[in-house]
Amino acid sequence: MKTFVRYLPLLLLAVAWETVSRLGIVSSLVLPALSSVAQAWFALIKEPDFWSNTAASLYRAGSGLLLAIVVGAALGIAMAWWRPLNVLLSSVVEMFYPMPKTALIPVTALWLGFGDGSKILLIFLGCMLPVTLGAYNGARSSDRTLIWSSRSMGASRLRVLWDVVIPSAMPELLNGVRTALALSFILLVTSEQIVSRQGLGYLIGYLGANGSYDAMFAVVMTVAFLGFAADRLYQVLMQRALAWRE
Amino acid sequence: MTEQPQIVVDRVSHMYRPLNGRPVVALDDISLDIRPREFIALLGPSGCGKSTLLYLIGGFLPIEKGRITVADKPVASPGPDRGIVFQHFALFPWKTVRNNVLYGLERMRLPRKEREQRAQSFIDLVGLSGFEDSYPSQLSGGMKQRAAIARTLALDPAILLMDEPFGALDSQTRSLMQTELLNIWQRSPKTVIFVTHDVQEAVYLADRVAVMSARPGRIKTIVDTKFDKNDPEILKAKPFVEKVDELWRLVRIEALKVQERKGG
Amino acid sequence: MARVSDQPSMRPDASLPLERPVGGMLIAARSVFARSLGIILLIVAWEAVARSGSVTPFLLPTFTATMTRIWSDTLSGELLGNLGVTIYRSIAGFAIATVLGIALGTLMSRNRLVRWFFDPIISVGFPMPKIAFLPIVILWLGFYDVPKISMVAVEAIFPIVTATLIGIQGVERELLWSARNMGANEREVVWHVVMPAAFPQIMTGLQVALPIALIVAIVTEMLMGGYGVGGAMINASRLADSRGVFAGIVEIAVIGFVMVKCMALLRRRMLLWHQEAQDPTTV
Repeated sequence: MKTFVRYLPLLLLAVAWETVSRLGIVSSLVLPALSSVAQAWFALIKEPDFWSNTAASLYRAGSGLLLAIVVGAALGIAMAWWRPLNVLLSSVVEMFYPMPKTALIPVTALWLGFGDGSKILLIFLGCMLPVTLGAYNGARSSDRTLIWSSRSMGASRLRVLWDVVIPSAMPELLNGVRTALALSFILLVTSEQIVSRQGLGYLIGYLGANGSYDAMFAVVMTVAFLGFAADRLYQVLMQRALAWRE
Repeated sequence: MTEQPQIVVDRVSHMYRPLNGRPVVALDDISLDIRPREFIALLGPSGCGKSTLLYLIGGFLPIEKGRITVADKPVASPGPDRGIVFQHFALFPWKTVRNNVLYGLERMRLPRKEREQRAQSFIDLVGLSGFEDSYPSQLSGGMKQRAAIARTLALDPAILLMDEPFGALDSQTRSLMQTELLNIWQRSPKTVIFVTHDVQEAVYLADRVAVMSARPGRIKTIVDTKFDKNDPEILKAKPFVEKVDELWRLVRIEALKVQERKGG
Repeated sequence: MARVSDQPSMRPDASLPLERPVGGMLIAARSVFARSLGIILLIVAWEAVARSGSVTPFLLPTFTATMTRIWSDTLSGELLGNLGVTIYRSIAGFAIATVLGIALGTLMSRNRLVRWFFDPIISVGFPMPKIAFLPIVILWLGFYDVPKISMVAVEAIFPIVTATLIGIQGVERELLWSARNMGANEREVVWHVVMPAAFPQIMTGLQVALPIALIVAIVTEMLMGGYGVGGAMINASRLADSRGVFAGIVEIAVIGFVMVKCMALLRRRMLLWHQEAQDPTTV
């Protein structure tokens, strides 16, 4: 019941949407009724085209993200552990952090064309930074007394890295991954609309150009919803992994 | 025959080098002999370097000037022969109590069954039976410190280094823990180096108290404080109270120096 | 609710405590050098790889060629024109988001109904790739600047509202009670106590929102083409003008960097009185 009340405003908005459109207050071209968008969505999911595009998008985002997490985390922790690496890379990271990663879209397209490769590279490069930063800050925040306790119990320096530094880095690392997750959606959708012939982003553009606005709305809502759902799901997983915290 | 001192601190000095600021002398020419199975307290105002000395003996900080030997071997790095207990417990927050205690035991290469039995016996010893599967975030301050002590004791170190271990606890818990520590120590005597700024705690727990000066840290004096710890009325006994008073006067002078330096 | 992330700070002097810190006056000079070292090496590496012949000048134009291109664009006025447009759009959207965001956040903190209404919208909307709605926004608002600025505002408003809410809610009860005790009326309490106390958190929100504003401005330009740095980059990409593309990357990196630094400076100035003037906090 509580959840219902909490999300009631969204229901109200949906009703308002349907009403406004039905009553013709806004032209149904510009705002197709929620019901016709829903209809279009149901029609869409019956088509294999929709699924092949979705699969392409998920494949690209998934691979890029996975690479970004693995490489980014390793890099972040390495930077916290070895001072020379830190000195070398920290200014680079600071420089590129405020840069909009979408600036990489034209470059990756230049290098790898319109296919999967350029998207995976884009998401890999773009999403790596938040993960690296999270891993770095997390590793750096390792409690000195934990490291010393571990050492006094006979752990070698390398073991300390594994036993203390990496677990200590987890909360911030996982937060960085959450940012990377949201970023991957943005990069995916944008690049697919500009430099792709496949994928959900491409589908949005195609449907729009065709004038099938209710189908376009349907895909847009699908993408938005996927982004939201991915974040929520990730939060649940993150809570599980960090259950030991207060 | 006099017993050989187990720990020898020989003319040790240490500089503290903050990242932005000038280096400061933390310890100045400290020499100290600590006998085996002795309970010695390092007492002094904040910033006097008592923790620094502890960390040097523990091998956590590099020894730049002077020497420290433990059982005739120079201290080079941390090790399980010198167990450490910190003020803020230093428990691994992502491990349960049992896994925390097991952590040190894993280094000892005992068969698994034995490790688990050993861990359990120490958890019981410190009074945490039933909380083996709790995470540190679920425990009170006193319980966390017990877990930390169990973890360190499980390694059976010859030397116990304690850095204001009861400083983060409320005063009632603190007195309970002091008595418990003495019980544990009397049952399996180890050399204990106990850092504190609480005069009464030092006199109660320790056989000897080394009073340190304000920065740069030097040992002002070493005083014998052997009292009958099992006497429940000892805290009110005249000789005890006089001793506390004597040491308090010494510490107060140093504490005032620290105040003056801060400009207030 | 989503969280507001913190500024990166990766000073080379601060590594794990196992290292011994080195002191002295060398630190200052050393750290400036160390800070730029990575960038300098990156540029050198870039130039070296580009010249080595292992990649074609198309795939990786040299650093010097890219800089030359930027220079000629500056001379022709094109760079400033595009830059100006992009900055205008991001700042305009950011300003709208700031005003509306702080207002909404404040309203939400004081009025249960408003809070109830907007809470799920923010909570659901925050993690959504709102950029996906751009085609719809174009449908509604046409081409040119309006959809771009609107999109910027829509995206930037989220962290600002969130930060404002958290900032206001985080104001210590004792502060409010003291103020009321001293006879302040409601309006005075809001302006003289709540706002200043919530300011660090709000500032953090603004610091997060500004790069977002820039990103969204550039993205909308890429999607829609036309003027602006993003548009110029996409055009260059379409014309296989790799120097143009790389010039764009450098320009965008620099703008982003400058904006972030400006905000950090602003923050430091405005929070001199606050203990955590150094770095923003994480939520």
